Amino acid sequence: MATVMRVIDFGEVSPLRSQTLWHAIAYGVSAGSPPTLSFMRPSHPYVSIGFHRRLGELDLEWCRATGLPVFRRMVGGGPVYLDGGQHFFQISVPEAMTKGTRTQTIRSLLAPAVEAFRSVGIDAHLDEHSEISVGPAKICGHAAGQIGSAVVVVGNLITSFDHQAAARIIATPTPTFAEAYLRLMKEYVRATPADPEAFRAAAAESYANELGLVPEPGVMTEHELVRLDELDMQFQELEWLEGSPAPVPTSVKVRAGVSLSFTATEEI
Amino acid sequence: MSEQKILGFIIRTDLAYDLAHHLWVDAARPHQVRVGMDPLGVETSGTLAQLVLHAPGVDYLRGQTVGSLEAEKYVGPVVTPLSGRVIAVNPHVAEHPGLVARDPYGEGWLFELASTDPSELAELLTGEEQVTMGFEERIRKYRLEGVLAE
Repeated sequence: MATVMRVIDFGEVSPLRSQTLWHAIAYGVSAGSPPTLSFMRPSHPYVSIGFHRRLGELDLEWCRATGLPVFRRMVGGGPVYLDGGQHFFQISVPEAMTKGTRTQTIRSLLAPAVEAFRSVGIDAHLDEHSEISVGPAKICGHAAGQIGSAVVVVGNLITSFDHQAAARIIATPTPTFAEAYLRLMKEYVRATPADPEAFRAAAAESYANELGLVPEPGVMTEHELVRLDELDMQFQELEWLEGSPAPVPTSVKVRAGVSLSFTATEEI
Repeated sequence: MSEQKILGFIIRTDLAYDLAHHLWVDAARPHQVRVGMDPLGVETSGTLAQLVLHAPGVDYLRGQTVGSLEAEKYVGPVVTPLSGRVIAVNPHVAEHPGLVARDPYGEGWLFELASTDPSELAELLTGEEQVTMGFEERIRKYRLEGVLAE
């Protein structure tokens, strides 16, 4: 039974490592490392796409032309634009520590993040769609998944958000659609400038309290470092990037509960 | 086909179950075992947004991952309850994951496999009485834990 929650702050890392580091840690937790809260932010902008999503949802030509790397992650959700204004956090725990439905697991592993947001002065709440929000706007992009026998929930403190870039990466059928999508994104996704260091300290405290563990600064294990090298290669392989075939989407999501249908320009 | 309403869930009691993974198993023909998600699994998974099953023709050991599903941005594995070669996957559930919730025992089946170790069947929950008791126990546990609403 774990008594310690390892805390690792990687600081600023390359786009690739801002994905592979936490995947490697999740594999480590699956193999016996203690529950781990990790932090990092990407040195340069890039695009991340969810495990099941189609690359065709992205305007790949635009990404290529603007030098945005694209990486497929092993957790859920859609394609997202990420940059240094987004301070990532990840909580990885053994599956045995989680209870209940998937929704309950996600909510219980996001609740400490909500507490951390609130402790740095942001009036955040976990809404009915399990989005961390202020009013109707989502303020934290999250996703979750099971990696080996570890469960990982990822999220971010968004101190600045480039709505234009975030909307532009998505393949949209018409300029009118793209404008509508950008308008909705500006309405429903917002940054919450807060001190990232204070947020990280508050998150370490709230996650440790929630899990009943003692937070301790830590480093990656040898096993995790080996896995990291493997993941670096895997995430740059075309086959991995292309992923598994998934159905063609009929809409593009702005946030949970707010989507724009490809067949009609309306909020659904 | 026989089914029972067990604490609010319609459960077929003529099938075998891997309750830990919320899978039903129709093993009437060992060379063509059909597998699907049980109604309790449907309830606790949340609304399925994505379901991807690996292509047929591959051999798996019991408990190995044969695909993945996503609900509420949470990606989890689909495992096989028996060892064997997957011989078919339901093409309709990938297109319409909601089928699994709408008709878990019918159109929402997941995959079929040719079982290679019949002795594993003994480790599944079978028989009307055992299935009923197993589901009652599991549902009560989930309710006590707050996993299921009354």
